Amino acid sequence: MALVGLVLLSTRYYMVDLPVWRSFGGGKGPDPTTLHLQGEFVESNLGTAEGPAGSLTVRMIAQQFVFVPQCIVVPMGVPITFRITSADVVHMLSFLGTNSGIKAVPGSVTEGTFTFAKEGEFKIPCHEFCGAGHHAMRGQLNVVPGDHFASLLPGERRTCELR
Amino acid sequence: MSFASLAARLHLLRIGVGWPGALVALLAITFLLSRSDSSAQPQNSEPSVRVPSNVAWTEETLEIISGGDPFRGLILSRRCSHCHGQEGFSSVPTFPNLAGEDRLSFWKQMQDFRSAKRTSPVMQGIADGLSARDSSDLAAYYEMLPRASDPQDNRAFPQAMPDPARAPMAIRIIVFGDARRGIPPCQSCHGPVSYVRGAPPLSTQNGSYLEQQLEHFSNGYRTNDINVRMRSIARQLTPEEKTAVAEYYGAGLGP
Repeated sequence: MALVGLVLLSTRYYMVDLPVWRSFGGGKGPDPTTLHLQGEFVESNLGTAEGPAGSLTVRMIAQQFVFVPQCIVVPMGVPITFRITSADVVHMLSFLGTNSGIKAVPGSVTEGTFTFAKEGEFKIPCHEFCGAGHHAMRGQLNVVPGDHFASLLPGERRTCELR
Repeated sequence: MSFASLAARLHLLRIGVGWPGALVALLAITFLLSRSDSSAQPQNSEPSVRVPSNVAWTEETLEIISGGDPFRGLILSRRCSHCHGQEGFSSVPTFPNLAGEDRLSFWKQMQDFRSAKRTSPVMQGIADGLSARDSSDLAAYYEMLPRASDPQDNRAFPQAMPDPARAPMAIRIIVFGDARRGIPPCQSCHGPVSYVRGAPPLSTQNGSYLEQQLEHFSNGYRTNDINVRMRSIARQLTPEEKTAVAEYYGAGLGP
């Protein structure tokens, strides 16, 4: 009986996923249909950016069925803030080889700060079923040693080539 | 008062008011621009904003598009049929076929031609003369046209694959994509498996046109896709894969 209850509860959890995440976002997030027109998720603002105090922020869009930018590059051992939103449905990034992940929800910005201890190339598969091309939705995270990561200019956004 | 003196007066008036007016307008624009720059700097300085397309799939946009009148579109389509064919199938393989074209995708491309977000020396001039309503009428008309083959019509459409050995490669990209390189399958957005707003159906599209567009997406000539979706994918495809996919669809074999 308890098992059945648990199963029912877990299905309920997935059903209410989106509204719950929206309520945490406070409903003041960007409109998923107009991300490309204004706001912080216009295409020229995506990628790794450096803040005034030297803090690094990565802005990404998850959409059916690509992450934009597809390849991001960050330095090792430094806290990095990810700001992610979705243009259509719920997606989830999981950084393979590390135990971190972050959910992308339409209509709200998900923020997470991670420090990557290992250098290398990590695949970022989508971890939440998002449609017919879900299996091929994959990005890449390149973690490079800190001294290989040249400091960014104020208006510069860094991405890399997916291989 | 003679015509010459009136003209002279008007001329004086224009010099007297027009130039300071323009100066004030320029100053106002500069002021506004500098204000918007400073207000956008709370976290870190922003690069100049690039907007790929002015079209967004909001409720208002969808309402404009779905309100298209196909009969009015039929009348307007006379100016399209010279290149795109009487039945929406063009006789030149580098011109796209419009029969059965998705409404949203058709409308978006027309708006992007008008706002010069998509570059085409021919289409930009033609789309300039069509209002948003004309475009939705045309979209409604072309969506109604059948995609079935008609041997009497002078169309370029099914062109046999020059190299049938490329078919397996095309099928792999169209049906499965390549997850290792982040290439989703074509059919997951362009149909028939599932659709995404603004993605046109490809099963009756000309191969040469498709190959050209994939090339333009990957080399940055065409940049009007929302949120860098098609550019990201086209950049991952090898030249051989682009040719294979385009020829496969152009041969009428695509799903």
